[in-house]
Amino acid sequence: MTNHPYLRAFLAGAFVPTLILPLMLTGFIVLRMVLQVPFPFERGIIFPMALVPSLWALWNMLWLGSSERTHLTIGLHGALLPLLLMPCGALLATSLRILSIGEDGVTWFNAVHVSYTWIVPVFLAALAVYYLMWKYVVGFLNRTLGIA
Amino acid sequence: MNTRDTDRLKTLLQAALPPTRDDLPPRDLWPELRQRIASAPASPAPVSIPWFDWALAGGVALVAVAFPAAVPLFFYYL
Repeated sequence: MTNHPYLRAFLAGAFVPTLILPLMLTGFIVLRMVLQVPFPFERGIIFPMALVPSLWALWNMLWLGSSERTHLTIGLHGALLPLLLMPCGALLATSLRILSIGEDGVTWFNAVHVSYTWIVPVFLAALAVYYLMWKYVVGFLNRTLGIA
Repeated sequence: MNTRDTDRLKTLLQAALPPTRDDLPPRDLWPELRQRIASAPASPAPVSIPWFDWALAGGVALVAVAFPAAVPLFFYYL
């Protein structure tokens, strides 16, 4: 299978967020419409729905194009993605007023408060989640599609 | 349709379809295929996960338990 490797990389990269998105939509419908929780989830869902799958897909294409030069493993390459995603997501969330920055921490959806002491472990955990997902899930998909 | 038409139709069909050639392989391929099927592993080799990855997964679980509010934030970035 030698045709269109970048198309296959795009599809493999978009696989994980595309699978998780229906779960998020289900949670959104249950929380917002069934339980009538007064959080503005619909504003927050724009980022994971519109940008994250495409960024995962493009990041996998970038790995395919650059791995011969950089020699980065797929896991480490994926672990770098939150360095790009988190500022973008925080910027979008701030402009949509679902993230407010306070003196002792940040508050999501006017409900979830994250103190600054917790931001570093949460960020490191996010890096670890990305590393594991890219190494085992995206790596498996790349091997299955014949591009790794 | 009389016999003459039938013969003409037969001639036309034989002229339209190329004659088949005897393209049999020089030897019987079935034993080789059976040998390949028999030698293939029944299940794929199990993925070996290094201790470092287990430690990372444990750390993630620890953060999720100690700070459950982080879980929806993870989903926000997935």
